[in-house]
Amino acid sequence: MAQFEKEIVQAVLIADNNVWNFKPLSDEGSTALLPLVNVKMLDYALIALNRSGVEEVFVYASLYLQDIRDHIKAGIATYASWSFKMTVHVIGGEGCRCFGDAMRDLDAKALIRGNFILLGADTVTNADLRPVLEQHKRQAKFDKGTAATLVFKECSNNVRLGNELLIAVDRRNDRLHYHQRLRTYQKESRYQIPLDVILGNSCVALHHKLLDPQIAIGSPSMLSLFSDNFDFQTRDDFVRGLLINEELLDSRIYVALLPAAQYAHKVNSWPAYQLVSRDIINRWAYPLVPEMGVYKLQQQYVFHKDNIYKSHEAQVSKVALHQNVVIQEGSHVDSGSVISDSVIGANCRIGKNCRLTNVFLMADVTVKDNCRLEHCVVGAGAIVNEECDVSAGCVLGAKSVLPAKTTLAKTLITSTPSTQRSEEDVAVELESIGPHAFIVSDLTTGDPEDSDGEDFLPQQPLTIPKMGDLLAPLDEISDCSDLSDDEDASRAVTPLPDDTNIFLDEVIDSLSRGFREKSNPDFLILEINSSRYAYNMSLKEVNFNVVKAVFGMQSIVEPANNNVLVAINAAFKQLGPVVSNYIKSEDAMLDCLKALEDVYEENPLVREKISQIVHYLYDKDFVSEDAIQAWFEQLDEEEHAHLRQSLAKLVAWLDQSSEEEDDDEDEEEDD
Amino acid sequence: MTNSEFQAVVFAAGRGTRLPEVLGDAPKCLLPVGPYPLIWYPLNLLQQHNFSEVIVVVLEQERLEIQSALENTPLKLKLDYATIPSDSDFGTADSLRYIYDKIKSDFLVLSCDLVSNVNLYPLINKFREHDAALALLLFPSGFESDVVMPGPKSKHKPERDVIGIHAATQRLAFLSAASDCEETLNIQRHLLQNRGRLDVYSRLVDAHVYVLKKWVIDYLRRKENISTFKGEFLPHLIKKQHSKRPLKVVQDTTSEVGVITKNEDNVLHYVPHSILDQKITQTSLFNQSLSQNPYHGDVVRCYGIQAPKEAIGVRVNNTLSFLAINRKLASIWNELCGEKHPLISPGALVKSTQTKEIIAADNAKLSEKTSLNFSVFGPNCIINPKNIVANSLIMSNAIVEEGCNIDNCIIGHRAQVKSGSVLKNCIIGPNYVVEEGTHSQAAHLSNADQFMEIDIQ
Repeated sequence: MAQFEKEIVQAVLIADNNVWNFKPLSDEGSTALLPLVNVKMLDYALIALNRSGVEEVFVYASLYLQDIRDHIKAGIATYASWSFKMTVHVIGGEGCRCFGDAMRDLDAKALIRGNFILLGADTVTNADLRPVLEQHKRQAKFDKGTAATLVFKECSNNVRLGNELLIAVDRRNDRLHYHQRLRTYQKESRYQIPLDVILGNSCVALHHKLLDPQIAIGSPSMLSLFSDNFDFQTRDDFVRGLLINEELLDSRIYVALLPAAQYAHKVNSWPAYQLVSRDIINRWAYPLVPEMGVYKLQQQYVFHKDNIYKSHEAQVSKVALHQNVVIQEGSHVDSGSVISDSVIGANCRIGKNCRLTNVFLMADVTVKDNCRLEHCVVGAGAIVNEECDVSAGCVLGAKSVLPAKTTLAKTLITSTPSTQRSEEDVAVELESIGPHAFIVSDLTTGDPEDSDGEDFLPQQPLTIPKMGDLLAPLDEISDCSDLSDDEDASRAVTPLPDDTNIFLDEVIDSLSRGFREKSNPDFLILEINSSRYAYNMSLKEVNFNVVKAVFGMQSIVEPANNNVLVAINAAFKQLGPVVSNYIKSEDAMLDCLKALEDVYEENPLVREKISQIVHYLYDKDFVSEDAIQAWFEQLDEEEHAHLRQSLAKLVAWLDQSSEEEDDDEDEEEDD
Repeated sequence: MTNSEFQAVVFAAGRGTRLPEVLGDAPKCLLPVGPYPLIWYPLNLLQQHNFSEVIVVVLEQERLEIQSALENTPLKLKLDYATIPSDSDFGTADSLRYIYDKIKSDFLVLSCDLVSNVNLYPLINKFREHDAALALLLFPSGFESDVVMPGPKSKHKPERDVIGIHAATQRLAFLSAASDCEETLNIQRHLLQNRGRLDVYSRLVDAHVYVLKKWVIDYLRRKENISTFKGEFLPHLIKKQHSKRPLKVVQDTTSEVGVITKNEDNVLHYVPHSILDQKITQTSLFNQSLSQNPYHGDVVRCYGIQAPKEAIGVRVNNTLSFLAINRKLASIWNELCGEKHPLISPGALVKSTQTKEIIAADNAKLSEKTSLNFSVFGPNCIINPKNIVANSLIMSNAIVEEGCNIDNCIIGHRAQVKSGSVLKNCIIGPNYVVEEGTHSQAAHLSNADQFMEIDIQ
């Protein structure tokens, strides 16, 4: 009977999920087997599970299934520290392309019997997940629709690596109500939380800047939910889908926060790799620290002060090791080199007078004399020849050979031209800088998972995040700079649409449509008149607004080639009868000109050409000379100084011509 | 001036627009809640907190009425009536501005419709501890949730506030009415950044108990376009918490000469903030941050304190809460005021033997052979024999004739229920006469003409 059988704790490890960020090393082998402080990432995850009392682990791999299988086999054979009291199965297949596929496959295989721990192979944590699992079980007993409990960790720094979240959680039962990933590049100035979330619960806690270490406790229903919803590709899809359709799917997600003392981080990009390496070396992830023998149960390093871990078998004589350095066995560093904040793999050779800061060397790397390496990763077996300068997030693929005196920054290098598989399986010509060094462009290699439309920052160029100086937070100082202006701005309420504005909008609509469709002006007049009565506009207001509406049409506000005169001419050709229907009397003309005064304020193009426009209106007999003069008279000397100046010439000309006319008339009379 | 640290202001000039059914011609603050008028409760609360003087803001025309009503209550406070013109349309912020001269120190503001037994000291201590600009009190809502609103069925939508409080510090992040938000709540990043968890509450009620710094009223005086305190000034002040002192202004504001007139619009201009103050804040043990800049360098600080769950707190600002407090008053009386005040006035004439949790005011005549439960009987009301009254409120001078069954009703001033009527969930307006043998349910019976007459008076 099931209830007498002790329920064994199962876990699922997803390897090689979303590895695009680890190019070019991800093309050369499984990222789960990438060494992080000289221990493979998969081992960290397995140890974390072992420490949490997991008895059976399914490692789900796709592309590098065999490599991972071999590694697990070797680990069991050599009594890796995770192999005690824990059985590890490697499953998977090449057909699995995303996280969702893996979950569906697991569901089909029916290997999971109860609640399980779900972890990415790239997660480094020292957390004990047993209490979280217990919490999940309690919750599942209470709420049958519990699909998963997500585990988060309060973020302590201000660095954004794409794992940061804003979530809204019900204070009473820790149910997740809102989930938003924070942008990596451009920080949000405000967050929009749906009001339902807040009104539907008496108290919602907003957690800003939580780290998502990709740890979750899943119910058996989680797998079937993936099967039922074949559009769930990633874990985020799952979360989003459940939050939107919580009633339909009758499933809920809960949240557990790790205590401050426990460490958890996901290594999903090179900056995260750098950060987690630093944290491990700085012993934040204790007991997952280098000298504890994370993988092999044997003392590999001697721990010196300033976080220097040095193997007995390493030869480092007359070398300045500053802080945070790990040097594995068999490595040899020549005299005069300076190393800080770096990890050096097994059997590396480093020449004389090299400077290495924030450098991560895999096994068997050779760095020749007088090189300067900074913020870079060098794959296994690579050779950096003399006097190279490699910096700012460079990654050298395994077995690549950098020619002497190369200077590189922000570049990805691979050893063979053929490793880059583009989506169309067309071999892309790679720029070569040596016989065994080709530049991988990180822009052309589209990521099939990131590039779908759901990505909330589509305008961001798809580049692989590079390492850099993480210690200098991006904009801690500028955080508050934007406050003073926007607090008052947010108070200012947009003016309510009063009747006049609505009327104006309607007239603009009518005229724009009439202009576009070249409809009969009589119909337009009819339309405007009915709007007029609907909003109870006086004749004066109608005159004013009709003219304003003509100038408010899209074609005049944003004319082609910025040629506003042509646009006005076209508009009046079509709509002239409408305008002249309203602008008949001298008073109406004055209204018309007053409207123009308004437009003059609003539209810079009109401002430039105001005198020509007035002249045009005069020419086409929309406004009379007397009206213009009357208008000009009443313009305030100070307020409209510029307008008066623009018009002065025209008015003078009008004066003159009228005098001439008068003269003409006089002459005629004389005759 | 005996209590010089804090002055207290009670607003009693409200017009009670949300309880027209029960108001009649009386001022809102004189609505009967058990044996006393409504305004007695906040005043009593202040008295319990050792205030000896309270400024009461009243409308000019209502002053005498309120004054005489309060003289009949066992209050020992010295009341200073501040009158505002009856014909003015003053909001609460306008009123505060109007009585500006009377405010000499930091002060408490209470509304006259607060019925509570909450201990204000935690609130005041928080205010003192953090040298706050404002501290306000929040109640859990739901006091009236089990009371059915009498009268015709209407969709009763309680007004709700969305209140954001930083969990670690109890600082207010924002306060806005739910109806002001559209589909989403916009939260600026700086409210979340580096400040830890932000709890957003939607079911807390602002108790209208504010502890304010003196300089706040100076600032309010300048902001003449703000007319209501809760709706406009409070959100404004909370927002101003994060405004930073412009760098170019010389930090030494102790020198009076350096005052820049242009700066008067800025809230920081009003905050006394000398170098010494800064040093005190930095070295204080109570600044809640050991490593960072205390309070993130914010000079204006607003706090929201939640009343403990067991505390009673109601704002009697609509008919429903008015009925609810009256019905429940007998059961919570001891917690609310202690046993000092008798629930059945010595002047009441209670002959009924079947009573449970009732309150009877002076000169109420409750005849024999009646069953009266969970109800309040106003002054001079008469309940004739053979009546059943439950969960109801019988206001002053009302008469219930024989053989009536009244359940969950409000019987207005001077109303008359003739014999044999059965009323359930009804509101009977002032002076209305319910005809003999009326059977009515969920109705609002009132005499529109009478309303008119009252208006003219």
